[in-house]
Amino acid sequence: MAFAWKAAGITYNRYLAVAARVVRRSLKEDKRLAAERRGEMSEMRFAKWEGGKQGDHKDLETANAKALAENAGQQSQ
Amino acid sequence: MLSRAARPALQAGSAAAFRPAVVALPTLQNANYATLREIEGRLKSIKNISKITKTMKIVASTKLTRAQRAMEAAKKYGATSQQVFDEAETKEAEDSNEKTLLVVCSSDKGLCGGVHSGLSRAARKMLNEKPNDYDIVVLGEKCKAQLSRSNAKQIVLSFSGIGKNVPTFADAGAIADQISLLPTEYKNTKVLYNKFINAQSYQPIAIDAYNEETISQSPNFAQFEIDDEVLVNLREYALANDLFWALAEGHAVEQSARRNAMDNASKNADEMIDKFQILYNRTRQSVITGELVEIITGAAASEDQ
Repeated sequence: MAFAWKAAGITYNRYLAVAARVVRRSLKEDKRLAAERRGEMSEMRFAKWEGGKQGDHKDLETANAKALAENAGQQSQ
Repeated sequence: MLSRAARPALQAGSAAAFRPAVVALPTLQNANYATLREIEGRLKSIKNISKITKTMKIVASTKLTRAQRAMEAAKKYGATSQQVFDEAETKEAEDSNEKTLLVVCSSDKGLCGGVHSGLSRAARKMLNEKPNDYDIVVLGEKCKAQLSRSNAKQIVLSFSGIGKNVPTFADAGAIADQISLLPTEYKNTKVLYNKFINAQSYQPIAIDAYNEETISQSPNFAQFEIDDEVLVNLREYALANDLFWALAEGHAVEQSARRNAMDNASKNADEMIDKFQILYNRTRQSVITGELVEIITGAAASEDQ
């Protein structure tokens, strides 16, 4: 079984997040607002550590998107 | 006759006795006034602190109900996900040389009693048992600060910005994605979080999230008819589920601990306010009495002359 999203380098969680976003956006106006407030990602940052030293702070969402784009490149090759 | 003869001596004596007192009095008086001022200032600051802690307690209480509701919902996610592994009787791989990844779920905010240090202590205990067996991912600034002092070399990732709101599944998914991007292959992932026992107590425990190999080796795995390819998805999803569960429960614990801490702080502040109020009144009284005594003795002394 091959998954279309795997080929695009998207992880299962990302796939879920995209699907959930689509569902939320197709709700009626009042319900949509409530659902979006519930499902929104909070602003998170992360840092990689090497040898006991903390690296730079990066925004989690953009870093994830970037990593996925890189993965997509690897998969298609 | 005797009294008249005695009086100058007495006056001289009393004057001699009074003179140092008069010299000493201004400093004494100043000291009294100073302490009175000091006590007043302290009283005011304690009153302000108690106002702040009371407000924080109210905020934590309202957040707690929401956090508890989110926790109940998140528990279902986690329990369902865990049920799969229970049915399959998945067990942690013992013999493999690969490391275990320890994910510590704290948050960015303090003022909630021993929540974060309890987690750090539990993490350190696990790390001390098998020093070379773990890599750490830290969620939240508080545990990062604590663990970076003792186990900085083992930390591979740290996340911040957690705990401002009730954690969402999108957060957990994003964290799980970033964790699964780590270059090292881990035999097992342990998610360490504070388990909510009741409003007063909590306990740091770890839940397991397994990798594909361990899942496929579990004894009852044949019960499930799935392709091997799906296992990667299952692992990612299970990790996100576990993280979501841990974050939501940790958040609820943190709020309830903050509520308790602020409750205690308000109580202590109230106690201190009472004590200082009494002290303040007493000091004020004694200053007034002292002044009265001075005036009266002064009047009596000048009357005689």
